[in-house]
Amino acid sequence: MNNLIQNEMMKLLAKKRLVIIGIIVGILVMMFTYAQYKQVKEQQEKLGTSDWRAALQQQIIDTQNRLSSNRMLDEWREQLEVSLKQQQYYLDHDINPSEPGAATFTRMFLENAIDLFIPLLIMIVASDLVSSENSQGTIKLLLTRPVERWKILMSKYVTLLLSVSLIVAMTALLSYLLSGLVFGYQGWGAPVITGFDLKGANVDVSQVRLVAQWKFLLMDLGLVWLVAVVVGTLSFMLSVLVRSTPAGMGIMLAALISGAILNNMVSSWESAKYFFMVNLKLTTYISGTAPPIEGMTLLSSVITLLVWWGLALIVSFAAFTKKDVY
Amino acid sequence: MSKPKVLAATIVSAFIGLFCLFCLGWTIIDHYGKKTSEMGANETTPIKKNLPDDFTVVALGDSLTRGTGDETGKGYVGLVMEDLESEYHRKPLIHNLGINGQVSQELVQQVKQTEVKRQIQAADVILVTIGGNDLFQKGQTLIDYDREAASVSQKKYLKNLHEILKDLNHVNDTATIFLLGLYNPFIELDEDLDTNRIVRDWNNETAEVVAHYKNAIFVPTFDLFQLSVNEYLYSDKFHPNKEGYRLIADRVAPLIKWEDEER
Repeated sequence: MNNLIQNEMMKLLAKKRLVIIGIIVGILVMMFTYAQYKQVKEQQEKLGTSDWRAALQQQIIDTQNRLSSNRMLDEWREQLEVSLKQQQYYLDHDINPSEPGAATFTRMFLENAIDLFIPLLIMIVASDLVSSENSQGTIKLLLTRPVERWKILMSKYVTLLLSVSLIVAMTALLSYLLSGLVFGYQGWGAPVITGFDLKGANVDVSQVRLVAQWKFLLMDLGLVWLVAVVVGTLSFMLSVLVRSTPAGMGIMLAALISGAILNNMVSSWESAKYFFMVNLKLTTYISGTAPPIEGMTLLSSVITLLVWWGLALIVSFAAFTKKDVY
Repeated sequence: MSKPKVLAATIVSAFIGLFCLFCLGWTIIDHYGKKTSEMGANETTPIKKNLPDDFTVVALGDSLTRGTGDETGKGYVGLVMEDLESEYHRKPLIHNLGINGQVSQELVQQVKQTEVKRQIQAADVILVTIGGNDLFQKGQTLIDYDREAASVSQKKYLKNLHEILKDLNHVNDTATIFLLGLYNPFIELDEDLDTNRIVRDWNNETAEVVAHYKNAIFVPTFDLFQLSVNEYLYSDKFHPNKEGYRLIADRVAPLIKWEDEER
């Protein structure tokens, strides 16, 4: 088993996929860093002061003005009201919600990347793990060895888990290192507020508490990792079921993108919450943004994802061990 | 790719994976571990840091402060700022806290907020437009005018205005407060000039309140819009348009004195 995993790992590293992923992340992080830098500069110029409180106060005023427009969908109004209350809470407690520094940037980057960007990166690795053996014809060589089939698939799956972990860590590390060049490497100890309890547009602050940013980052990391594993497992399943890699990738891509679109419009279609792609934005639960469908919680999302994960694994192994190879 | 390298990569990623798994478990436990808040829900933390000591203008109030109706988005506040900048060749600081549709009751709340207070404290000039929404209530007041209800809302407004001015003075007693009077957007719809009387009365009462405070100045705008009101109104026939805001700004800007030794 160990040798099989080593073998798979060697194949993966030889493909240099991880290097490509690293380059993609690097370029994107640099772009976002520059965009953020520009935005901060412009805001400071507009306000004439670098004091974040003035900037936050202005954001609150802007939100209030948007709320005063009566041509707005109820669900957007609700979300705006929630974010308004949180902004006011931060301001009232004199806590900067976006303390400048690489740690904050990394946190924001992870929170925004969790539902689309990270899954896409994972797909690059996961979607041809099995199907490439098919298209290159090497599957026969692999299966003629005196090893049980499930062990072969297992070694591939373990390799997937390892590379998923590596990609998540690499993304976090790169965004910290690169953004730090501009924003500085500080901000680990900055307080972040967590524990907002949302009931519709009401924000219950009775359980709100402060968490040091490094703790919050680790929480984000754990959630991002779970999403990455689940998405990886699903594309792994597709690569077992669908012989052609592009087709498998296409299916997964369609699912992910439809998830991003559904997130903005499903609030009235309640059973949509059982789709895995609607549950990917796990970090919103700890930062306290309203979920796409009322009633979704961290636990319900995690369980939904785990069910999808389990089913995908069962299907993959069942299909692979029974499959005719010719 | 050599064997030891592959082994090292495997071990490192295995550790990362386990670590992430640990983080995940911890996150869920932490999220559901019901702890009570360490922070008082309603108490606020005073802000110690002061804003820069430049010439600062704080604009408070309703959609006029916001600049609704001006397609360039400046409003009279933006225009006044431009006038000041071109006259003194320096850029004043501006905090525009205007909110569309704000009524006096909401402004009373707003000036009690910590950060708003801090900005007011740093202000040299405070511009206020308030009362328009109290009186007109999106036109309802004038369509079915009820003398009783109007006098109740006027009393409430005057009380709120007292409180606002008192709070402003309390936080900052050196800043000059300019309170803009109301104009009558319905002047041309009205045959027997009933609305004129109501608005005039409202303005008079407002001026009476303002007169109690020595740094507060009442700036009338009624006369600006009295003739050819439609030329100066936006297509909603309620807010001023660009030219309308220009008129207001031309009246306010010359009143503002930017002197360094003032502070």
